[in-house]
Amino acid sequence: MLEQYQKQYRNNKRQFVLINKEGTVIESDQQFLAIEAGTSIYDIHPFFECLPAIVDSDEKEISFFCVHLPIEENFFVVDIKFLVKKEHVLLIIDDFTEHYHSYQNVAQTRNESVIKSELTIIKNRELEERERFKNNFIQNFSHELRNPLTSIMAIVAILGDTALTDEQTKMLDFLKESNTNLRLMLEDTLSIGMIDSGKLKIQANEFDLHSLFKLMEFTYKAKAQKKGLQFLCRFDDKIPQYVIGDRLRLFQVITNLLDNAIKYTHTGSVSFNVLLNLKRANTVGLHFEVIDTGEGIAAEDKEQIFEGFNQIATGKKTNGTGLGLTIVKKLLALMGSKIVLQLHQDKGTTFYFDMLFKYPLFPENDRSLQENTKTIKSESSNQPKYKILLVEDDEHVQATLFKMLLKTNRFQINLAYDGAFVFQEVVNNNYDLIVMDVNLPNLNGIQITKLIRDFPFKNIKKIPIIGLTANVYKDQINQCLKAGMQKVLTKPFEQEEFLKVIYKTLK
Amino acid sequence: MQSSKKIVVLGHFGVGKTSLIRRFVTDAFSDNYKVTIGVHITKKTVEISAENNVSLILWDLEGTDDIASLRKSYLLGAHGIVFVFDVSRPSTFQDLNDNLAIIRSNLPYVPLMVVGNKADLVEEHALKNVIEAQEIAVDFIASAKTGKAVNALFLKLATLLTTNA
Repeated sequence: MLEQYQKQYRNNKRQFVLINKEGTVIESDQQFLAIEAGTSIYDIHPFFECLPAIVDSDEKEISFFCVHLPIEENFFVVDIKFLVKKEHVLLIIDDFTEHYHSYQNVAQTRNESVIKSELTIIKNRELEERERFKNNFIQNFSHELRNPLTSIMAIVAILGDTALTDEQTKMLDFLKESNTNLRLMLEDTLSIGMIDSGKLKIQANEFDLHSLFKLMEFTYKAKAQKKGLQFLCRFDDKIPQYVIGDRLRLFQVITNLLDNAIKYTHTGSVSFNVLLNLKRANTVGLHFEVIDTGEGIAAEDKEQIFEGFNQIATGKKTNGTGLGLTIVKKLLALMGSKIVLQLHQDKGTTFYFDMLFKYPLFPENDRSLQENTKTIKSESSNQPKYKILLVEDDEHVQATLFKMLLKTNRFQINLAYDGAFVFQEVVNNNYDLIVMDVNLPNLNGIQITKLIRDFPFKNIKKIPIIGLTANVYKDQINQCLKAGMQKVLTKPFEQEEFLKVIYKTLK
Repeated sequence: MQSSKKIVVLGHFGVGKTSLIRRFVTDAFSDNYKVTIGVHITKKTVEISAENNVSLILWDLEGTDDIASLRKSYLLGAHGIVFVFDVSRPSTFQDLNDNLAIIRSNLPYVPLMVVGNKADLVEEHALKNVIEAQEIAVDFIASAKTGKAVNALFLKLATLLTTNA
């Protein structure tokens, strides 16, 4: 009985083969491999050609694990032990085919997942690298354009103050409009680069929301009328005048939406509505919407229009970078909101977003834009002359700034091209103000400012300094302010803005 | 005259060792990755000259990122080594010089070929940068998929082995 069971269950997956040192099979128990006595082991499978090396080695017992042996019709995966005796070699072959097949599946899954995750990391790194390169390129390119654009804008402003014929005035208006468009496109390109590289930070400052609405209404009413469109505006009376948020970025979002609406609407109207969603404690929820009766957008383009550098084919040529809606989407995401597009059944579209603002119960700031403008106008007359040192290495920029200052008849201006000459100038003159490019040769604006602030003479160390830079990064601007500059103006800027900052600093 | 030479092909997993051998032996290629466990052994005769043939016994070892843990028995009696890495995956060659040092310490007199596989996946200029940056002495940049440099690699090794014999 026991013998029967032994026959049934004994491990018959082990085979013993005896061979001489030349590789001829002496004996084999034929458990699972067909290895006949008298045959050469080398003819069974090339694996056995390792025999001479084993015989020649000093080892008496050598094992090989997981050897794949396709023999005739069968496929075995075995462990093989070589026991080198004095006259012959004993091979003990264990068949682990099933075991190794199950291990194969585990190894397959593990390796595939390791390789996949490794390739994903590499791919992501490549994409990030490309994105970084693109953003750096866009930012550098935009910066390089700022200097010449500043000069052009300044010259246009100066030209406007000279005696011009009607035709020349028309041409100048066209030039002004083109400059403004160019500037806006430059700002868009730069914004997208800054958002994508994570350099754009959302500010939280108190600002006058009502004056922003009025500005929008005034500006876009004129733009719409010029195109023969109706511009409808609705603001909820219950909206607080002052809120805390990023005025500049909200302005950028709304202007992008309104510009787009006017650009793609050829008949009918554009509406801009700001409605109150909720108001509790010191939080207010607002609903902004821009509705147009324009060409509309095909349903299949609905998502695509928010991707960068996309302009949907409309049959009519339009200007722009195609970045407007991408900027809107990304800025709103940074501000915790989301742009939604609704397609009208007949004609046109609605873009809307909801946004929460904190609002102060006791606002700090209630000065209006108009009052600021008045201050400038009143200050630009009946005042004593101020002595200004203008330090700028780009001679075109220097010439235009010089003209801007000179025509006010309010300043006595000295010029310097190089940072190294600034000290000689300030020691030998009594300046009321230094206007200085930040990126100067030899000694940059930040270094000069620090040195001036460390001067032992009170009249010199306290001279107000305004920095001019084409770099819009907050880091550099902060460095300038930290070094002791009173204000930093980013290029390009308008004549009015330039003079406004100067008067404010002198005051 | 015909002789047999044991060639051990090793490197990290997924670098294409099996594919290189398959391309060399059967001139075939499959995109389906099948993990090698243990060792597969195949044989191919290479004609060096009209009177001189050599049988290459190719030991295709299971891939590992720890060459030091390789079983010594697999290397026993090896006449040549082919170390394969994947040019598209830095992890397979970032420790290459250390790995080669380990192999050389075990088999100091055995010819060793270093092969960067999957050249079809990487642009040539990027490949050059990668190799220069890693300071790797590469014998062949190959592609089992396209067949690039595969025969040349084994032929060079076979010639080297018969010349040295």
